[in-house]
Amino acid sequence: MDDRILEFIGDLRRAEMRVSTTEALDALQAAEAVGLEDRDDFRHALAATLVKETRDLPTFERIFDLYFFDLKGLGAEAAKALGREDPWARALLERLLEQSGDLDVDPLAEMLLLSDASSLELAVRQGGRGVGLERLFYFLQVGYFTRRIWDQFPWQEIEADLEALLRAAEEQGMDPGALARLRTYMELRLEAFRRLVRQHVERELARRGHGQADRLRRELLAEKPLFTLSADEVAQMQAVVARLARRIKDALALRQRREEQGKLDMHRTLRASLPYGGVPIELRWRRRRREKPRLVTLCDVSDSVRNASRFMLQLVWNLQECFSKVQSFAFVSEIAEVSESFRTLPVERAVEYALGHAAVDYHSRSDFGYAFARFCRESLDRLDRKTTLLILGDARNNYNDPQAWALRLMRERVKGIIWLNPEGQWGWGVGDSVMPLYAPHCDLVRECRTLTQLADVVDGLVQGWWRSRGAVR
Amino acid sequence: MFASVEEVQERFRASRYIASRRIATVVYLASRMNRPVLVEGPAGVGKTELAKVLAESTGRPLVRLQCYEGLDEAKALYEWKYAKQLLYTQMLRERIGELIADAPSLTDAVDRIARQEDAFFSRRFLSPRPLLGAILADQPVVLLVDEIDKAEVEFEAFLLEVLSDWQVSVPELGTIKARHIPLVVLTSNNARELTDGLKRRCLHLFIDFPSVGEELAIIRLKVPEASEQLARQVVSAVQKIRALELRKAPSISESLDWARALVILNADRLDPQLVESTLTLVVKHERDLERVKASLDKVLADS
Repeated sequence: MDDRILEFIGDLRRAEMRVSTTEALDALQAAEAVGLEDRDDFRHALAATLVKETRDLPTFERIFDLYFFDLKGLGAEAAKALGREDPWARALLERLLEQSGDLDVDPLAEMLLLSDASSLELAVRQGGRGVGLERLFYFLQVGYFTRRIWDQFPWQEIEADLEALLRAAEEQGMDPGALARLRTYMELRLEAFRRLVRQHVERELARRGHGQADRLRRELLAEKPLFTLSADEVAQMQAVVARLARRIKDALALRQRREEQGKLDMHRTLRASLPYGGVPIELRWRRRRREKPRLVTLCDVSDSVRNASRFMLQLVWNLQECFSKVQSFAFVSEIAEVSESFRTLPVERAVEYALGHAAVDYHSRSDFGYAFARFCRESLDRLDRKTTLLILGDARNNYNDPQAWALRLMRERVKGIIWLNPEGQWGWGVGDSVMPLYAPHCDLVRECRTLTQLADVVDGLVQGWWRSRGAVR
Repeated sequence: MFASVEEVQERFRASRYIASRRIATVVYLASRMNRPVLVEGPAGVGKTELAKVLAESTGRPLVRLQCYEGLDEAKALYEWKYAKQLLYTQMLRERIGELIADAPSLTDAVDRIARQEDAFFSRRFLSPRPLLGAILADQPVVLLVDEIDKAEVEFEAFLLEVLSDWQVSVPELGTIKARHIPLVVLTSNNARELTDGLKRRCLHLFIDFPSVGEELAIIRLKVPEASEQLARQVVSAVQKIRALELRKAPSISESLDWARALVILNADRLDPQLVESTLTLVVKHERDLERVKASLDKVLADS
């Protein structure tokens, strides 16, 4: 059993769960302690020792089910593959096999004809032992491995035995109709066995390949230019964004500890002085708390940069607790606040709201100048020295008045302005792009064509390093 | 301590705690493997209660260490009783004077005092805090480290050291080994990610909101005065409220409070008016309250 558990742990690791050696040893010990009688107890014991993150539980459960089959469930599944029984043919075959002791039928053939689903399944797995299933990673290999396992069985002998049985039946004077029925029964059993083999290989693939394809896709997605994503990929991105957000948060929690020291902490210094008779030999310092940044985002939600906006909003939503306050605005040319939906709605609905239901003219042409001027007139009081302003847009102004003065006015109010441009740097200033006019008023201008670039900037924003890196131009 | 998973369930039940099979298995493993249990889950599902019941059902005393920001070794492990030490030195000044009165040289005097060091740095002047207390106890105890996520990462690392070796080193006294290995329960509300080291060391238990059957059993056990019908309706309503998108979903503690309140109000069944007037016991945020009120008929449907 230990081997099985270790193999199972290998699968968990392949599915990106971190399992240390001590945890693996614990799992073995725990499995021994609860025994194998109760499948649920066994599962709980493995979960308690191997799964340390609640979010990993679904993965664990899925792989557990693929790995430690529920024997009852498995039998049912195999029975389904076998199809309907034919009791008449079965009884007949049993009688034939009994009588024809001299036929010397291969035990495999006998099993094939008469055994129940579970023992057939066990035979398939036996056959699957030596064919190198550990190299099975892609769906395309399923056919190959099905054949490999199939070839493990001595089909020539089995078929000869079946023919011999049919002949014996014929000799006993069975009529052609009944003979045909018998033959059909045999063929169906063979077909079902083939299906069982294939099912087995597919299940193995699900078990081994689990997570691999996912990871590959995630990595590809994070590097893919945002505007090329298909609707399907956009939906998958949600998980990728959530993952990134978590990484940023975890890093933040660790980093917050390594802070420089602040003022003298009289209280603790006095206490530390007690062993020295009241002489403050050891000084204690108050830890300087980094104040969480405030964030105001202005997000271009016109069609051209929709994906970038979507992911930035998702990322910001996921990181809300890293900021002391988040206020979000969406604009095309008209600008509207969407902060309320961010506070109250779950992530998909909040982002959908910002991208489609805010009081914004979604189908007009972007006009950054107008939006900024509007913001200055109406919402300038939202900005203060503790606030960082995050603007996402391609700065393609459709030849409208850029009104860069509005951006300058905002800059005077805030701690800093970060501009994320989903367009490649080569396009800035070409055609109707007014990026070069806006850039001087920003502290940091970054190209963000992929999710990785986006995450990099947001990471800097949360950790507070972005000011030290300076503006790109 | 426990012979089987079933026994855990039975004895917890006797202490009026309904343990699911998962909870019972983990507790059983913890007692067999001498491992701390890290319990995570939403607030109010009985994480702290688990430790209390564990103590009760094993007949061990409960030592509780409540974590908070700024908790340090001095408050968790031990502290020297400085004032007492000073006082003793003052009172014993004459004896010390006598001791070194006839010392021929300064070095000699220092040596003589050094020989007496043990008198001042002894257990007598050590004030044990919960962690050391749990280790020094004459009988095995249950140690509850509550809300470990509130403490800082450094403290976690330090705790890990204690939990893995069951010993504490006090520089002046040397290493103190545990007389009995305590059963340890740590709880976390996930305010921050715990470090890998600690997680690796512990058995992990996630307690979620209970299923309908479990919750009904809990209410029947804890609020036996409530009629069968009332308990059923409360559970059904609470489960439906949980399905709404709320900022803070009601937990077991809320459903228990609610059931108790309804009993005091002499209710034997729920009606919309009654629910509206007692809803604040179940839902604590203003906005959540509005949301539940808006879908009240859905919440009360077929109950």
